[in-house]
Amino acid sequence: MSLKPRFASVALIGLAVVLAIAPGCSSRKKVSSEAQIEPPPTESTPPAPPAEEKAPPPPTETSGERLGLEDAFFDFDDFSLRQDAKTALETDGKYLEKNNGAKVVIEGHCDERGSVEYNLALGEKRARAAKDYLVSYGIPAARLTTISYGKERPFDTGHDEGAWSKNRRAHVVPK
Amino acid sequence: MGSNSANRKHLGLYAATTVLALLVSAVFSPGLVAQTDVRIGVQATGTMKSPLMLARFRGEGPVGSLPSQGRVIARKDFDLSGVFKVADVEPPDGKPAPDPSMAGTVRVEGTVQQGEGAAFFRFHGQAIDVGTGEVALDRTYPFNEGTLRDTMHRFVDDVLEALTGERGIAETKIAYVRQEGRVKEIWVMDYDGENQRQVTHDRSLALSPAWAPWGSELAFTTFKRGNPDLYLFDMTRGASYPFSTRPGLNTAPNYSPDGKWIACTLSRDGNAEIYLISRDAQTAKRLTRNTVIDTSPTFSPTGREIMFTSNRTGSPQVFVMDVEGMNQRLVTIEGSYNDSPQWSPKGDKICYAARHDGIFDVIVMDANGSNPIQITSNAGHNENPHWSADSRKIVFSSSREGKRQIFMMNADGSDVVRLTSDGECFNPAWGPRPKNKLAVKG
Repeated sequence: MSLKPRFASVALIGLAVVLAIAPGCSSRKKVSSEAQIEPPPTESTPPAPPAEEKAPPPPTETSGERLGLEDAFFDFDDFSLRQDAKTALETDGKYLEKNNGAKVVIEGHCDERGSVEYNLALGEKRARAAKDYLVSYGIPAARLTTISYGKERPFDTGHDEGAWSKNRRAHVVPK
Repeated sequence: MGSNSANRKHLGLYAATTVLALLVSAVFSPGLVAQTDVRIGVQATGTMKSPLMLARFRGEGPVGSLPSQGRVIARKDFDLSGVFKVADVEPPDGKPAPDPSMAGTVRVEGTVQQGEGAAFFRFHGQAIDVGTGEVALDRTYPFNEGTLRDTMHRFVDDVLEALTGERGIAETKIAYVRQEGRVKEIWVMDYDGENQRQVTHDRSLALSPAWAPWGSELAFTTFKRGNPDLYLFDMTRGASYPFSTRPGLNTAPNYSPDGKWIACTLSRDGNAEIYLISRDAQTAKRLTRNTVIDTSPTFSPTGREIMFTSNRTGSPQVFVMDVEGMNQRLVTIEGSYNDSPQWSPKGDKICYAARHDGIFDVIVMDANGSNPIQITSNAGHNENPHWSADSRKIVFSSSREGKRQIFMMNADGSDVVRLTSDGECFNPAWGPRPKNKLAVKG
């Protein structure tokens, strides 16, 4: 694959920038010939990044509890709703009926076992299972947002079933 | 929500496939017959290493402690290559005669010389076959104090290439996630754990870094906009930009070997599915269509197949398909929970994490699904395995010392070395080898 001259010069400029800012190397004059980094094989330039937004603050963990919102809990590697989970979601359903227009975010969480990626998907299954149940209860879907945190925001950082069971949940918080 | 019963509907079909696969493997792979456990890999004693005598480096002129500094770096690189058993020797006076009794032994010598100016130096390195006297490598590298480390890494990789036909990984980097408090950021370090530096500064959750094949870009998932989005980090600009910000999951990125596609997991259709998105973000191709979790795609080095994790049989297992999404079939036929596959750059093996008796361990198996070998044991939970660019080593996260940290080992499980110690570190990804052209003097 031959380098187009434009990309070759971009790569060399990029390398010069890297060498200029690389930490721990103060007076950098690279004496050996430049390492040739292959440019991206695509022709298009990457889209301009959007203005960096401030990260939204994480939802307060007790904000839902204060309002009487309850969480649904799950078995390991499972997203089916146990009876206790349904009862908890019915409590949330009643809250949402009473507070017309109120919106919630349903966060899907997992315990620490298993990979980052699989648990992001499993957490989403849990959040959606809870959302679907609330929709079938009668809450309009537009008032229910889901997000998965996988195993990345545990409620209990312990390493036993006591901790794990607390982390396998659909966490319902006001939006 | 009936997703559980949907899973169970598929279970019968895959149970039948599994039985058939077991019967087939029983006929063709006698070593696998009737085993319920994978074999434990040989540790610490199994690697056949070549003897390498590393001479004390000499200095010519006012070069201070550069020879000994350089030698420390080179010695660690030779040790960590997984290829050599290193002995420390004095450099010979003059040129010794060939010694046929030492056939197969290599002696590496080095001299640091003054360069064209006070801040510049040259490293003259040689690798000599002791048995025949033949010089396998004789090369001179200009450098300054700031580039000593890079120069030693390059020299060691050159020696490996001269002796084995394949470069080592001394010049490579490892990307990973480091957590401090509630914040998880992407970091990069040299393969030996040196030069740890923070890449993202989003004060959010940054996860699952993946290297572009040209080495100056990382794909990763970030929650900085309030959703798990895929961003690309351009290391030459020091900035990231959005790649896929679809509703739901944008996770588990993995570049195709030609860098033109990024395999990933999207759930915009209501369920976690494997997609290919072109690197210019203009085209998205959906590869899996079902109601189950499909995630963690990994390209074969040919670019023609993709392995991934799916729980369509009821729990996570490793599957393979071609890049059009056809011919999806089960790869891991042993164990009840197999996840996070990574295809070796050589193409003949995969590694993955298997959960057995509640413990996670790293397994290496042939890419066709035979000969699974467990290469970690009795050492906490071992996950996120990722091959080195030369397929000789595996980097992984382990909780063997408490909080998860990044470790590396040879592909047979020997020579485990810890690389990180600050915060909690996981999700390592081993970067590609740089393509270098050297200014060399014979």
